[in-house]
Amino acid sequence: MSGATFDHLKALIVEDNVHMRTLLRSLLTALGVKHVYEASNGADAFVILRDKSPDMILTDLSMKPIDGIAFTREVRLSHDSPNPYVPIIMVTGHTERLKVEAARDAGVTEFLAKPITAQGLFLRIAQIVERPRAFVRCAEYFGPDRRRRKDETFTGPWRRHEDFESGVELK
Amino acid sequence: MTVKKPTSPHKRAHATKIQPGAYPVFPRNTASQLLRALRDPEIVATAARVIAGKAEELRVAVLGHIDHLEKAARAADMVRIFEQAHEIRGLAGNAGLTATGRIANGLCKYLDAIDRAGSRPDQELVALHLEAIARAARAEDEATRLGDTVANELAVLVDKKLTEINDSARRKPGRDAPSGGA
Repeated sequence: MSGATFDHLKALIVEDNVHMRTLLRSLLTALGVKHVYEASNGADAFVILRDKSPDMILTDLSMKPIDGIAFTREVRLSHDSPNPYVPIIMVTGHTERLKVEAARDAGVTEFLAKPITAQGLFLRIAQIVERPRAFVRCAEYFGPDRRRRKDETFTGPWRRHEDFESGVELK
Repeated sequence: MTVKKPTSPHKRAHATKIQPGAYPVFPRNTASQLLRALRDPEIVATAARVIAGKAEELRVAVLGHIDHLEKAARAADMVRIFEQAHEIRGLAGNAGLTATGRIANGLCKYLDAIDRAGSRPDQELVALHLEAIARAARAEDEATRLGDTVANELAVLVDKKLTEINDSARRKPGRDAPSGGA
């Protein structure tokens, strides 16, 4: 057992259900994360985010008054956000495609479907630590690159700057 | 198949990529220590025991939500029914109430589709789900095949209803016309 404690690592849990919040806290504590902050909605979470500047966020989707999607958007886009690049793992029971797509388009880094398993959570954390994703900034989106796979058979449309061999802009 | 990328764009989109490192990432030392901990079988086993140890507490919480669900049903309050069913599907799996979670998930999927389609819910289907959720969660033998059988049968019903909702949405005037079509 590594037995490591991560004295400087800070995690924020945003979850309105106290039982789930406690469960997530216990899992992070078992991992050795020393500073775990909790909020029961997106509004409170943003205050903690500004104050503590966590290294990772685990958030639920459905919360009031500000849900996980609006909170993620706030983290990514707000001028007040101390770290718009912070990894966000959405831990949710929502399986409806539209909700998942909305969360992805708000800038969520990873998804973890409930029920929570230790392997599932640890795998998502390992992903953000080991393979941090590039961020994309354009008029409609700011967040982790939503293209996870490179499709060799893709024939366009080519839209991104790095898709082109020449950097010449047409006039 | 190799795809040749174009050399001259028709339009250059204003998207920029920011690579890790250009924005703050976990320091190398912390990252490697953390990865070691995340893959340590003993830590993973401890975490799994933490989850298992919470099952009874979560089961009691699910039963509390079922009381609220039944109150919402008596008030015919679909918004609260969805909220409670959503809480139940989120907790049930970790409470060891797999069938309960699956049935609650089916109800949530159905109510979400109904809401988006602007239709009225099939009261009988909702009532069937509510009864099944309550029975499955309260039964001592929830984990037996009986609970799974009920969950499977209700899932078939929900799929059928979702197909009907989608078909109906496709048939609505204005949806069939291709955009900018003649």
